[in-house]
Amino acid sequence: MKKILLIEDETNQRILCTETLEKEGYQVIAASNGEDGLNLLKNNDVNLVIVDIRMPKMSGLETLANILGQRKNLPVIIYTSYPQYKTDFMSWAADAYIIKSSTGLSELVAKVKELIGA
Amino acid sequence: MPEKEKILTLILAGGKGERLYPLTRDRAKPSVPFGGIYRIIDFTLSNAINSGLRKIYVLIQYKSYSLQRHIREGWNIFSRELGEFIDVIPAQMRIGTDWYLGTADSVFQNIYFLNQEKPDLVLILSGDHIYKMDYRRMIEFHKQKNADLTISVFDVPVQEAKRFGVLEVNERQEVISFQEKPENPVHSPDNPDMCLISMGIYLFNTETLVRRIIEDAKKPDSSHDFGKDVIPAMIGKDRVFAFPFTDENRKETKYWKDIGTIEAYYEANMDLVSVEPVLNLYDTEWPIRTFQEQLPPVKTVFSLGERTGMVLDSIIGGGCIISGGKVYRSVLSPWVRINSYAEVSESILLDRVNVGRYCKIRRTIIDKNVVVPPGTIIGYDASEDKKRFVVSETGIVVVPKDYQW
Repeated sequence: MKKILLIEDETNQRILCTETLEKEGYQVIAASNGEDGLNLLKNNDVNLVIVDIRMPKMSGLETLANILGQRKNLPVIIYTSYPQYKTDFMSWAADAYIIKSSTGLSELVAKVKELIGA
Repeated sequence: MPEKEKILTLILAGGKGERLYPLTRDRAKPSVPFGGIYRIIDFTLSNAINSGLRKIYVLIQYKSYSLQRHIREGWNIFSRELGEFIDVIPAQMRIGTDWYLGTADSVFQNIYFLNQEKPDLVLILSGDHIYKMDYRRMIEFHKQKNADLTISVFDVPVQEAKRFGVLEVNERQEVISFQEKPENPVHSPDNPDMCLISMGIYLFNTETLVRRIIEDAKKPDSSHDFGKDVIPAMIGKDRVFAFPFTDENRKETKYWKDIGTIEAYYEANMDLVSVEPVLNLYDTEWPIRTFQEQLPPVKTVFSLGERTGMVLDSIIGGGCIISGGKVYRSVLSPWVRINSYAEVSESILLDRVNVGRYCKIRRTIIDKNVVVPPGTIIGYDASEDKKRFVVSETGIVVVPKDYQW
């Protein structure tokens, strides 16, 4: 079973995403901030990371930079409510940038499937 | 002259210069002293400011104290109020825990600074080379060709090309192949004896640069080097052009030197004391600046037969005292002292070297602060010199910084 690391500070979003991805047959481990997420990454064989941008302690972009430092070719999806970080060069290091919206979650699932398969 | 587009200059100054050991024992290659009063990086920095570039980051990592100090003392000349800067950026390991893995990685790890500035173009230079160039001509060429990347190129004989990145171009100057240090280099289209090599001068559209270094950063098997990885991957995908180096030195042969070895370093310095040096340091149209402290004038003293203070065919930095000794065909940095009856010829003496009475020094590089005891002979007996010092293949002796007898 493919394992996804979800880094999301907002509890409802975290639960919603986790349940949706689990229904699609993925195993999801979740962290509520970048630091915890990076620790989980160290100790788990993860196939893909989904990361929010605006989070306390360490921003999603900083987290992304650290993920690259640890696992260069690990697929990463940015999942955020804010489109403006698209102009930040660091965000270009993600494999996808998906906006949380009414269709966001289904886009997210489709992208996950595209990147790592079902 | 206001810039039409926003250009950010990155000078990669992390070069170790291992083949210049022991001159690079305590300093990175760009910080190695040259020509009496300069450091190697002064040429690149001077080119940049003479070209009207005013936003410059110098990326450093290896043995960088000397370089940082030099830039702080000598190059703090811009107005931040006007958005101008020469900033030294040490390796910060913000992405991962590694030092810079390669030239492309050094830019990738500083993507934050690109993001802050959001320039239209990024000019990437090396702090390792000595040459004079107006980058504005290259920028113009880049725009004319509507290029994604322009690489400045220099002609070298085929047998020397193996040390460099070798380019193959079509009739439109578009690069169709790029090989780093190839065994069998492709010769230039108009001369079978010459190759086009990369001078390590890259002008990128920012967006292309960012996309390509990110792609490269995500490849686990890459060495994260522009020459080895990023540029070869761009050929055939992006618009990559070769710009033939235009030399502001304006001599018969173009001057671009990678001062990679002790021999090359020695020869480039010796060029400066010839009657008509190839490298012209006296051109007010293209000044080379550096850090210079306030120094008293050079002094020669004694004219008493054998005890005559004399300097011939040499260049001498401020504050030197030639006291009853003789100096021929040599380069003296500031504060050097030559004492009575000593004879120094075809040598390079760096700051504060003190040559004792009756010394005989020939074909020797003496690094900073060395006090040579009276009667010392260097450069006349290679086997004797080799017991104490690094001696190059051609017999140049190097006395390291702070050496104590």
